[in-house]
Amino acid sequence: MVAHTIPLEMLQTGQSGQIADVSGESGLVRRLAEMGLRPGVSVRMVQPGRPCIVAVEQQRYSLRGESEALVLVEVDS
Amino acid sequence: MTVPPRLTVALLGNPNTGKSTLFNALSGARALTGNYPGVTVEKKIGKTTFGDRPVDLVDLPGTYSLAPRSLDEMVAVDVLLGRLPDLPRPDVVICIVDASNLERNLYLAGQLLGLGRPLVLVLNMADVAEQRGVTIDDAALARQLGVPVVRTQAHRRLGLDSLKQAVLQVAGQGPREPPAIFPAPFQHEVAQATRWLPGLGAPASTAPAPVASALGPEQRFLGERLLLDVGGWLEQQAVQHGGPQVAEELRQSRERLAAAGCPVPVSEARLRYGWIREQLKGVASRPATRPTTFSDRLDRLLTHHIAGLVIFALLMLLIFQALYRGAQPLMDLCEQAQGVVQGWVAQWIPPGPLQSLVSDGIVGGVGSVLVFLPQIVILFLFIALLEDCGYLARAAFIMDRLMTRVGLSGKSFVPLMSSFACAVPGILSTRVIENRRDRLTTILVAPLMSCSARQPVYALMIAAFLPATYWFNGWLGLRELTLLAMTSLGALVAVPVAWLLKKTFFKGETPPFVMELPTYKWPSLRLVLTRVYDQARAFVLRAGTLIFATNVLVWGAGYFPQDHSVANARQAELDQLAETVAEPLARREVLRQQLEEAEAADPAGPGTNSATQELAELNATLAEHDRQASELNALRAELLEQSYLGRAGKAIEPVVRPLGWDWRIGVGVLASFPAREVVVGTLGTIYSLGSDEQGLPAALQASRWPDGRRVFTLGVALSVMVFFALCAQCVSTLMVIHREAGDWRWALFAFVYMTALAYVGALLVYRTAEWLWPGA
Repeated sequence: MVAHTIPLEMLQTGQSGQIADVSGESGLVRRLAEMGLRPGVSVRMVQPGRPCIVAVEQQRYSLRGESEALVLVEVDS
Repeated sequence: MTVPPRLTVALLGNPNTGKSTLFNALSGARALTGNYPGVTVEKKIGKTTFGDRPVDLVDLPGTYSLAPRSLDEMVAVDVLLGRLPDLPRPDVVICIVDASNLERNLYLAGQLLGLGRPLVLVLNMADVAEQRGVTIDDAALARQLGVPVVRTQAHRRLGLDSLKQAVLQVAGQGPREPPAIFPAPFQHEVAQATRWLPGLGAPASTAPAPVASALGPEQRFLGERLLLDVGGWLEQQAVQHGGPQVAEELRQSRERLAAAGCPVPVSEARLRYGWIREQLKGVASRPATRPTTFSDRLDRLLTHHIAGLVIFALLMLLIFQALYRGAQPLMDLCEQAQGVVQGWVAQWIPPGPLQSLVSDGIVGGVGSVLVFLPQIVILFLFIALLEDCGYLARAAFIMDRLMTRVGLSGKSFVPLMSSFACAVPGILSTRVIENRRDRLTTILVAPLMSCSARQPVYALMIAAFLPATYWFNGWLGLRELTLLAMTSLGALVAVPVAWLLKKTFFKGETPPFVMELPTYKWPSLRLVLTRVYDQARAFVLRAGTLIFATNVLVWGAGYFPQDHSVANARQAELDQLAETVAEPLARREVLRQQLEEAEAADPAGPGTNSATQELAELNATLAEHDRQASELNALRAELLEQSYLGRAGKAIEPVVRPLGWDWRIGVGVLASFPAREVVVGTLGTIYSLGSDEQGLPAALQASRWPDGRRVFTLGVALSVMVFFALCAQCVSTLMVIHREAGDWRWALFAFVYMTALAYVGALLVYRTAEWLWPGA
């Protein structure tokens, strides 16, 4: 099966995946990386919406899907 | 015996790592708080000892990274490099990390190692991490990084001694070699970039670039930041200092790096995480499975679309009630205490300027500062509790959707809501917003929220000029509707104001669209109380002194330059007379109150005849007293009219005439600068009523222009209310804005824009009312 890549905020509750790419305004991309949201890490959707809550390891983040930065996730099958 | 030299130790870490708890555990309650000059960052220094060594422990704001985007974020770098005049360079840096999320926390630790200063790494909450299946080999980690690694449980005060020992141990060590995180081409460009650093090295392009290996740690660190932080604070400074050619040089430098395979700034994260992975190889491991924690279960309820919102609303209602009603008895107590002290002053100091200065100027001024404390303490008790247990971030999450519509984030909600009770604690509480632009926007619109000090003004105007009309069987009243309209006016106006501020002054930086939600935990009472105490103390010391000074100034303006000796003599006579008729005076008060209550209970009722008759008799007995009292009041009104304040009121009459006001209202507005509710008392004095505020509505209704027209029409009443709803006529708020924004120009801006809004609003409503109901 071909892994499909979608924006992070489109994950369903409980669905998880690996961050494939973070693109957009470079300052924001780096800020996300500083906070631990960067390519290669596993994320899980805790509560979808705008803002949504996602989990990375023991960390929980509130994220608002903004046009300035796009987090793409390769969904676990 | 000689005292060993004082050590300066800086404490740094990611947010939610228990840094504040560790700071308090290490320094006790003896922390000095203040602001770094020109910024909104809180300066916190704990005076303590490690062993027998005196230590200044500097607490720096929680941060994920040392990449200054603004002057605010530059403060931490300046402290660490010893670039601030009154703070020596730290001898040791303590970096606290959350043991259950070592990988991300080491990002900041890596940057700190780059400073080349002695460093101690603190693994906090390692016990929790191990319960979750994380294993860390401390000794191996210490070997890898070349720094001591210490485990603590800050909330239980465990591990503090070994931390102190480790700090003392590394304190004497010289500079250390920073880790090699960046590749050679990068280091070459850094050396080039150091030429543009403002205040370091030779100015501009004439100087040859130093060799990369010859750079000191400070130069290298700043050079890295200048190169890596595109559009960051250092670049702004360098361009300002060296002109557009610096921007061009930096751009070319970054292009060369991109061509060499490390694009700026994204490659910093890649390189640093690569370095971290190297360091943690064989040192730490984490479990493959993710257990559902207590925090997750709690979050399902507290961040739920409906249940979460209901719980949030109930909590906010509780806080608001506590602020609005809970603080009232304490505030009354403050005022009573003030009255008692003023009574003593009157006994000890003979009537004259000195008595008035001490009683009205100084005691009144101190009172006007202390009266804010109950609300500040209550609000910060709630905020510190909610923040420490982890709920505040959830509250911001819940309110985010609403607040983003005006360009703010959810974090602005609690400060704005608190401002409905009083803008002073509200503005102080904006410290929870770490984004500077969001914080300033919130600070600038907070005074528009209708605070409790505006209520007396609305109450007076509504009672005097709006008929008690009711519709729908008494369910909807005109007076209540007007009160609701006035109370919501400021908040409604704040929406476009905030939107405009975000579109103009605070453009460019997006509000943080990502926020960490910390794990829930039991709040630490010690930490909460320390925070409340710090806030209260900071308010009294910093804003309080300015509020007090303004009070004294306004008192002087209202007192001088007239001679008060005649009035004081009359007052003494009246006091003597009052003593001889003390009993009938007291009886009349009681009767008046009874009659008022009876009328309130049954407005159409006939009133008790016996009471009315007794009142008439008492009035006859007290005729002489009343005559003297009203003469004295007239004298006081005249003194106020001729004082500097009165003259200023007359001078601004042409300005306030378009609003339908006469000079008396102008004086009231000027005198209300120390506190809004003062306008009621000032109007009382000016209408020769003394302290008898009950007669004020009638006096206002009877007030006439020289040509015989009534001063107070419905339009004027509405214009006064709208003016007060929108104006910044509150020195305490302005002083707190000045302190919190770190620049008096923001306070001036708030005053100017709010006064302009208030003026235009009052003008519009006055003209509209005069047109709709002429002469009403």
